[in-house]
Amino acid sequence: MTDLTFLALATVTVASAILALEARDLVYGAAALGITFLGMAGLFFFLDASYVATFQIAVYIGAVVVLILFTVMLVGPQMGEPPMELKRLSLLTALLVSLLLGTAGSLTSANAFPGPDSCGTGCDLIGLSKTLITQYGVPLEFLSLVLAAAVIGALTLAKADRKG
Amino acid sequence: MPDPVTQIIQLVTSTYFLEIVLFPGLTSIAILGAFFTWFERKLTARVQLRIGPLYSSPVGGILQGFADIIKLLFKELIIPEGADRFFFIMSPVTALIIGAALLGLIPFAPGIQIANVEVGLPAFLAIVTLSPTLVLLAGWSANSKFPFIGGLRALFQQTAYEIPLWLSALGVVMITGTLSLTGIVQYQQNNGWLIIPQALGAVLFIVTSTAEMERLPFDLPEAESEIMMGWQAEYPGPLFMLVQGPAFIKLYAFAALFSTLYLGGYLGPALIPPIVWFFAKTIVIIVAIMLFRSTFPRVRLDQLLRQGWTTLLTLSIVNIVIAYLIVVGVPAI
Amino acid sequence: MVSQGIPEETGYILFLFAATLALVITLRLVISPRDPKPTPEKRAPFESGQIATGPGRTRFIIQYYPYILMFVVYDVIAMFLFAWALDLRALGASGTIPVLTFMVVALVPLAYALHLAGQRENW
Repeated sequence: MTDLTFLALATVTVASAILALEARDLVYGAAALGITFLGMAGLFFFLDASYVATFQIAVYIGAVVVLILFTVMLVGPQMGEPPMELKRLSLLTALLVSLLLGTAGSLTSANAFPGPDSCGTGCDLIGLSKTLITQYGVPLEFLSLVLAAAVIGALTLAKADRKG
Repeated sequence: MPDPVTQIIQLVTSTYFLEIVLFPGLTSIAILGAFFTWFERKLTARVQLRIGPLYSSPVGGILQGFADIIKLLFKELIIPEGADRFFFIMSPVTALIIGAALLGLIPFAPGIQIANVEVGLPAFLAIVTLSPTLVLLAGWSANSKFPFIGGLRALFQQTAYEIPLWLSALGVVMITGTLSLTGIVQYQQNNGWLIIPQALGAVLFIVTSTAEMERLPFDLPEAESEIMMGWQAEYPGPLFMLVQGPAFIKLYAFAALFSTLYLGGYLGPALIPPIVWFFAKTIVIIVAIMLFRSTFPRVRLDQLLRQGWTTLLTLSIVNIVIAYLIVVGVPAI
Repeated sequence: MVSQGIPEETGYILFLFAATLALVITLRLVISPRDPKPTPEKRAPFESGQIATGPGRTRFIIQYYPYILMFVVYDVIAMFLFAWALDLRALGASGTIPVLTFMVVALVPLAYALHLAGQRENW
């Protein structure tokens, strides 16, 4: 049952990611990106990372995709690219590369050879909170500085200078 | 591990399946959604000294919602010219699924909960964040000016109230120390209803959730007197029914969440079964939110954005400080 | 989580799947565009009686762009605040200092955004 669900989620994620890249109408692409993030959130749930999954939905789909949609609607339909032709060589290359990456990735991951629950004590939500604040306090500050810099930069770039 | 077929058969014949299909799942959501349309019309009518729906059944027009559904099903389905058919139809459908998803997270009674996820509270808020995106897509897809303006207004309205909504729920998390809705109800079982230490948070929550539901006084995307039903303007008969449904399902879900977070959910003296307590509290909140509609004028978008980011945000931070003082300053709680 | 029975999230996904299925079946049976007598007036966009001119997707509201930016940033900040709030009893006052500086730093772009959003000639 779990494998079926994982397979379904993985298919949805990959298929909508392909759609997000190849869709001619950019609004469809942005919506497909939202579905990709939804699939990723489902996969996070299956990795016992329910906190990350929930905020993936809230922040990525709720804020970032909305921003992308707004920008895409602002720009208009004439900016989408025509769909690419499906060449056989590029399809074969894509298949081989994904097989290689998938095999390499699955062999090097910690869950490659199933054993007892390898999460340990830090995996529950309280442990996450404690670790995040105490152990990662300094990266938290840097994160806020990066966010502040991004916002101020974006606002400065976006506003129109009307002088005189 | 038993093979999937056995597991599926096991699942279908279990009580969990009945929970999904009947109560508190799909059938009850559909029936209650139709019921609440009648309820709102009757309540608003009484406030305005009218009678409201009367003729569709011997008992005060209570079947009005179902009569409307049947009427709308038989109407002509006209999709406007140049409209994006896929998003036009899929947006209300997805909004209905989101409504069902919201109700699946709430504990109706000890043991009656479709999904006891350990991150229930942020999961609820995260799922409900998706609905203004759908309004934006629906407004865009109709290729008409009124719906498009309504959709954009929904987008900007979301940016105004969403953060105060999250931050007012943050106060509850600070005091209870858990993100799961059953955990929050259990905390209230031991320590009293959370509306007392979190009165400011409760007020903020009800205000911002009224804005989230796009109800008056925050119904800018659907402003009937300004932009002619806004993003819903081009929706024909059966799709109009699908569009109105999520509004009432979200009302039900938010009232249920409010009573779970602040009023103790299904808790109450044991003379009355917990499920009745739950519905009593939920209906009180629903009546309060419906009365907002008859009381307050509509806000303007720039007022809403300004006030959301100054007043509401400041009040949410004050609420966080209050919760912090309660948790850290008074260790007995 | 997967040791016994069906995990909670799978049940939830099953519920959502059932909801989707029910809706799709209802739609297929009930809603199919049926317009026996299509006329151009029926399919025209609605504009309270007047003839609609111009494209339908105009009238962008761009002067509220700072608010969208702040919304995205504060959504991320809310994620960290929820993580902090979970273990507040154990973290106490000393554990709150990183979060306090975090919030103070995050309020600076908010002030700038509100200042910019107030000046309408910039958009």
